[in-house]
Amino acid sequence: MISISKLQFTYRDSPFSLQIPELNLAGGQSAVIVGPSGSGKTTLLHLMAGILSATGGEIIVGDTSIHKLNDVDRRLFRLLNIGLVFQDFQLIDYLNVLENVLLPCRLNPSISLTEDLRARAIALLTSAGIQSLQNRSVTRLSQGERQRVAICRALLLSPKLVLADEPTGNLDPATTQRIVQLLLQETSRSNASLVMVTHDHSLLPSFDRVIPFEPFVYGTHSAQSPSGVDS
Amino acid sequence: MKHALYLACRSLLWHRGRSLTVVISVAVTIWLPTTVHVLLSLFRSEITSRSDATPLIVGARGSRMDLVLHALYFKGAPRVETTMADAQPVTAASLGVPIPLHIRYRTQPREGIDGAPIVGTSPEYFEFRKLDVQSGELPSLLGDCVVGARVATAMHLRTGDALFSAPRNAFDLAGEYPLKMKVTGILAAAHSPDDDAVFTDIRTAWIIDGIGHGHQELNSQTDAALLMNSSDTQTMTANAGVLPYTEVTPENIDSFHFHGEPNTFPLTAMIVVPADEKSRVRILGQFSSSDRPTQCLKPSEVVNELLSIVFRIEQLVWVCSIATGCATLLLLILVLVLSMRLRAEEMRTMFLLGCSRFTIVQLMGAEILLTVLAATVLAAAASWLTVTLAAERLGQLLFW
Repeated sequence: MISISKLQFTYRDSPFSLQIPELNLAGGQSAVIVGPSGSGKTTLLHLMAGILSATGGEIIVGDTSIHKLNDVDRRLFRLLNIGLVFQDFQLIDYLNVLENVLLPCRLNPSISLTEDLRARAIALLTSAGIQSLQNRSVTRLSQGERQRVAICRALLLSPKLVLADEPTGNLDPATTQRIVQLLLQETSRSNASLVMVTHDHSLLPSFDRVIPFEPFVYGTHSAQSPSGVDS
Repeated sequence: MKHALYLACRSLLWHRGRSLTVVISVAVTIWLPTTVHVLLSLFRSEITSRSDATPLIVGARGSRMDLVLHALYFKGAPRVETTMADAQPVTAASLGVPIPLHIRYRTQPREGIDGAPIVGTSPEYFEFRKLDVQSGELPSLLGDCVVGARVATAMHLRTGDALFSAPRNAFDLAGEYPLKMKVTGILAAAHSPDDDAVFTDIRTAWIIDGIGHGHQELNSQTDAALLMNSSDTQTMTANAGVLPYTEVTPENIDSFHFHGEPNTFPLTAMIVVPADEKSRVRILGQFSSSDRPTQCLKPSEVVNELLSIVFRIEQLVWVCSIATGCATLLLLILVLVLSMRLRAEEMRTMFLLGCSRFTIVQLMGAEILLTVLAATVLAAAASWLTVTLAAERLGQLLFW
């Protein structure tokens, strides 16, 4: 689950500001953020992931207020509890499919690459329908296949929260539906909260909640408070 | 670090063209100075050990370096010769043992292999150099020879085979004839220039030089056409029609003879083994006069002069290597910076996923470590190969 209260954020030397009075999402719930470019959707995801630090307020993922953690602990917390999916997949070209899924285990010495994790990776690949491609180079995959690998990577360590930043932005409609269903199905199965950013309004009905962002207007310093709208 | 090494390994293999180029560049930068250093050390050790094992060298005045290299390595020949008579100061007072060396001729090429130097010497040489016979025996008769281990291997020689000397001047019809020598033994490998030479008795060397010879017996029954003067029955003088024997056999060995006093026959150098340290000093004193036509040299002293030149060459190589190393290092830094730029997205992904800066530094460090390690292994293998192949030829590369 994720809980946000009185969140404030401003970029240094920029008039942009983001204010979110309250936002709660229980485990297994999904939310989609929609809004025009520059309205702060990705900024919110980065704040939720602990990549950016809020200037005020609090973000609690599970039981942990992530902005109270120091840099090292926050990175480890992110690695263990938050799964990230990007628009451009962000796979590592020199690793094959299975190795890309297992990548989070190689990024921190406190995580051991156990046989159980290996089995989970293969199970995730099977669930995503790409188990037969596990030894293939990711450079030889289609866009849809690559995004499925990225989703498997995000889900490997059974995160409490999955953040997906326009994961279907580069995909055709049919693949988009499959990817979204995979995300919803896997996060629901592992009782994780899912927050997804998209411009594709046809996907909104699939999510529990829709969070619309208003466009930011330069010079007004206006706080854009997304309103939680139940779908 | 295990994971960083794994990821670095996969990255290097994926970018194999770039990795190979960097590895080869670094390997060459390491290989060049290392190999030069090892080769020169080997050379220094080899030349020093041989010169240190040779107490004194006596020869005609002239280039000290040439005389020492000639006596130690059988290379070149002094323009002016010496004789056993010049060792009189040594022998008269029993100050030491002079070992004659006559090295002017080579064997004829055999099986496509260039001829080896023919070293005419006395039996003391084998004892002095601690040369053992691997098969057969040392030369005991005129026309016998033993061959060094490498010559035997290269020319496929065995005991009982024959070798021909090569005349130095094909137009000297009255002087040097090729002599057919019988191989009586093969020397055990000594890992020294002795392995590359053919050894005969000093008298055989003089026969090759035309100073001694054997020919058919001249008597009253000899064809008059072969005699210059047959009027005197006591003394007969043959003309050029009487050909000398070109092989020493049991049948003709008694006919071989020398005209003159052996003490005056030419030598190209002498190794003098003093009886003791005091004798050594006295011998040096005897030859110190500039009036004498001969000089007595301490080989280690001359070789040290030579090594000082080698040392300067080595220093020059080091300076060049340091310059090349700096250039390679700068290029490596450039490659690293460009590589980091190209891989910024990859690093960003790892960073976003939760990777620490330290892990990213570890990853880059592991790549550098693996690259340098691979280059070092490659350089070591190349150095070993070069040293193995070139060590024996180093002397030739440097001096002749």
